[in-house]
Amino acid sequence: MNEFAEWLSQTYLSTLIQNHNSWVIPTIQSIHIVGIGVVLGSVFMVDLRILGWAGMDQTLRQTTNRFGPWLTGALCALLATGVLMVIGEPVRELVTVSFWLKMFLIAVGTLVAAAFQISLRKHEGDWEGAVRNRTSIKSLAILTFLIWVAIIILGRLIAYDHVWGSWSPAQKA
Amino acid sequence: MDISTFLASLEASAIATRIRDGLYLFPMIESTHVVGLAMVFGTIAIVDLRMLGLASNRRSVKRMFSDLLKWTWAAFALTAATGLLMFITNAGVYYHNTLFRVKMVLLVLAGLNMLVFELTAGRSIHRWDEAPSAPRSGKAAAALSLVLWISVIFVGRWIGFTTTRATPVSVPADVNFDDLFPGTPDGAAPEVPPDKK
Repeated sequence: MNEFAEWLSQTYLSTLIQNHNSWVIPTIQSIHIVGIGVVLGSVFMVDLRILGWAGMDQTLRQTTNRFGPWLTGALCALLATGVLMVIGEPVRELVTVSFWLKMFLIAVGTLVAAAFQISLRKHEGDWEGAVRNRTSIKSLAILTFLIWVAIIILGRLIAYDHVWGSWSPAQKA
Repeated sequence: MDISTFLASLEASAIATRIRDGLYLFPMIESTHVVGLAMVFGTIAIVDLRMLGLASNRRSVKRMFSDLLKWTWAAFALTAATGLLMFITNAGVYYHNTLFRVKMVLLVLAGLNMLVFELTAGRSIHRWDEAPSAPRSGKAAAALSLVLWISVIFVGRWIGFTTTRATPVSVPADVNFDDLFPGTPDGAAPEVPPDKK
């Protein structure tokens, strides 16, 4: 991974970002944070609806129809700005525990969200009933929200990988 | 007491010292700040887009206010508290940082925008509650709110690039998580790089 990061940092696009990093990196990071707000807000609204704490004038399906596309769109924007950040500062990003842990949780969070939306489209009635009666679904809603919170925290911790002590490859390099 | 004495006393306080000297406190406070601001922006944007008629426009605005704004305020309290904690660790530097001041002005403007809305379009909300979008003054407040909060995020991120940390973090050599689970796959004693001794 070290060699890949070194190679990436020599590429044309990476040097272009590095040469303008006084404004390019903060701009990309700011757009990334705006996207994070949209993702967390969207996940939060669907989870509140599952918990029965908000949006009870809407069906589950209406709620995911409203927030699903925003979640997908914001995740795409986050992927784009995230890729640019990795290209711009490959070593800082790729040689950290936080980054890879974050990528793993993003995969989990995205799969859960996608599976839920697909299943809801097929078995809308079952889900409406389950959300009303089964407390396990409610714990799952809280858990998925916490996964996205953990992703945000890990994202910020990329800048502070020393918190992982000897687990951080950056400390060993 | 003049302002610089006050800022210096904030920096010298026990809590500011703990955060500065700790390995984990500042990163965790900053991460919590990001989670809080994501919640503030995420929930406010949903309400603003509704008033602009761009999303959720068949739902009652009042209902969305009561569903959402309590969470916005709770998240704002968390963000403000963590922001204050970060401020006191390096109060003198932040106070004199132009972007920090711009951010504070933008936050005040966002608050005033909310106040003006409450006193104008907010007063007649029962008349446009179910309408696809707010009246013109309400739309203006919603658009201004989006612009202000996005600006707060941008300027906030920029503060981190224009200030220096109070004390550079030095990693103590005794933070060695390899010792947490004895007998892990490569259970040999953790190697200590010669330059770290």
